[in-house]
Amino acid sequence: MERKRSAVLLALPAALSLLIFFVCPMVFIFLKTIAENGLSDFVDFFTDPFYLDILWTTFRVSLVSTLVSLILGYPTAYYMARTKSRLKNVMMIIILFPFLVSAVVRSYGWMVILGKNGLLNQLLQGIGLIKEPLEILNTETAVIIGMIHLLIPYMIMSLIGVLQSIDPNVEYAAQSLGASPLETFVKVVFPLSLPGIISGCVLVFTMSMTSYVTPKLLGGSKFRMMATMVVQEINVNFDWGAASAISYILMAAILVCQALIVFGSAGYMKRMGGGKNA
Amino acid sequence: MRDKRSNPFCMIVAVLIMLFLVAPLVVIVIASFTPTALITFPPKGFSLEWYGNIFSKSNNFVSGLLNSLKIGLGATVLDIFIGVTAALSICRYDFKGKNILLNYFTSPMYVPSVCFAFVLLQVYSQVGRVPGWARIFIGHFIIILPYIVRNTVSVLHVFNWTLEDAATSLGANPVQVFFKVTIPLAKPGILAGALLAFLYSFDEVALSSLLSTPRFVTLPIRIMNYMEMSFDPTLAAISTLLILCSLILMLLMEKFVGLDMFMR
Repeated sequence: MERKRSAVLLALPAALSLLIFFVCPMVFIFLKTIAENGLSDFVDFFTDPFYLDILWTTFRVSLVSTLVSLILGYPTAYYMARTKSRLKNVMMIIILFPFLVSAVVRSYGWMVILGKNGLLNQLLQGIGLIKEPLEILNTETAVIIGMIHLLIPYMIMSLIGVLQSIDPNVEYAAQSLGASPLETFVKVVFPLSLPGIISGCVLVFTMSMTSYVTPKLLGGSKFRMMATMVVQEINVNFDWGAASAISYILMAAILVCQALIVFGSAGYMKRMGGGKNA
Repeated sequence: MRDKRSNPFCMIVAVLIMLFLVAPLVVIVIASFTPTALITFPPKGFSLEWYGNIFSKSNNFVSGLLNSLKIGLGATVLDIFIGVTAALSICRYDFKGKNILLNYFTSPMYVPSVCFAFVLLQVYSQVGRVPGWARIFIGHFIIILPYIVRNTVSVLHVFNWTLEDAATSLGANPVQVFFKVTIPLAKPGILAGALLAFLYSFDEVALSSLLSTPRFVTLPIRIMNYMEMSFDPTLAAISTLLILCSLILMLLMEKFVGLDMFMR
């Protein structure tokens, strides 16, 4: 009994802080919004093509960023998990380093590179490949590039852990039994690494759905994603009703997407017979 | 690897990704020494002018930095206390609903910071007269708690609790056990969590941009405001300093706790 009391005592400061400053405000404001405005702001959101387009843009950018991060991150993680060269430590530092550098700084770097008078345009014009500068900054492409730069380290970290735990002998066994490298990948390595793929995708997708700095700095004023729209409704349009509708829809969208990815892949893994280990 | 076809391919992709990851950082560092207001490559000369510009009063970078440090350090220290005790309560005792409690402690991670910031903004407008620092502090205090709890739990999860019993049977009192056995062994997790939490707060933009008042602005918001007015290499100079600080922090972390702490 005394042990139980000390467990409660230890948990109390954090539990109370979260209750007072997190749970209560979230619930209170939700109820207040519903009580005052009803559901009209939500109806407005889903009937206005302007808002639906923002939701679709957010979803599209996140999906592309996640897929590209996976496709480029997978070989990188595979190499890092298998190599014995000293390069690995350098790569580890390069991958971890961006974790410590602010998203504002990293977006600024891309602004310098992709801008109208930026490094890339100077280079391409210098070698005479293009005459007019390319418009990359303030487009969706710039946002996706920045997003991948921001999030691919998370994908690689999720994948390395799983890939390192796959015994290379399993791959040798598959190949000595006559599987081609492609077959080995599709039938052995890929299914075994699925848990890492899923956790990496969920992480990257959620982070890009909610990202604020990258779309704001690299997308310019006309490019809108859900998170930047919340701030714009508050600071520019002073429309708090619309802002709360957008922020609750964003939260719901993330939950639904996560549930879909996790349950969808659970079904797949059951078919693969890997459910127990996953 | 015996597989000769996939290996070079993976290596090339890996090297390209590394170049992609460092490119913007390298560009920033080079750009910070450009003598001209327009950043050109290669730079036409060398100048430290923009570094001096960081400290000019009108830019308010220094006051922004101090504000960010106050918020970040304050919130991290407070969260170490409540986060480590929370992690201990989960790991040391066996009870039903442990996982629910852990999810509760890490729940702020699952809410977009913009949404939480907006909720706080509405609460502040109801309460009225919340000082500028407290508006941001409360937000940061909550959103960084999960990092400390999670990293501490990841260490305590594999903690050998019989060590505590051994210390007790050798005559240590509970306070001694806590400070001489439990804390030193959990230190790598606590440090890694604290570093991640501090950096999150230091770099946080979404929450701060909704909750900051004109009189209390953090550094990232100052930098973003400056970007809207001018795009001269002062930004590159301050970014270079921030990159340098991150590099030093990282080397310190590698020396004291090892980088694999971040991979959990």
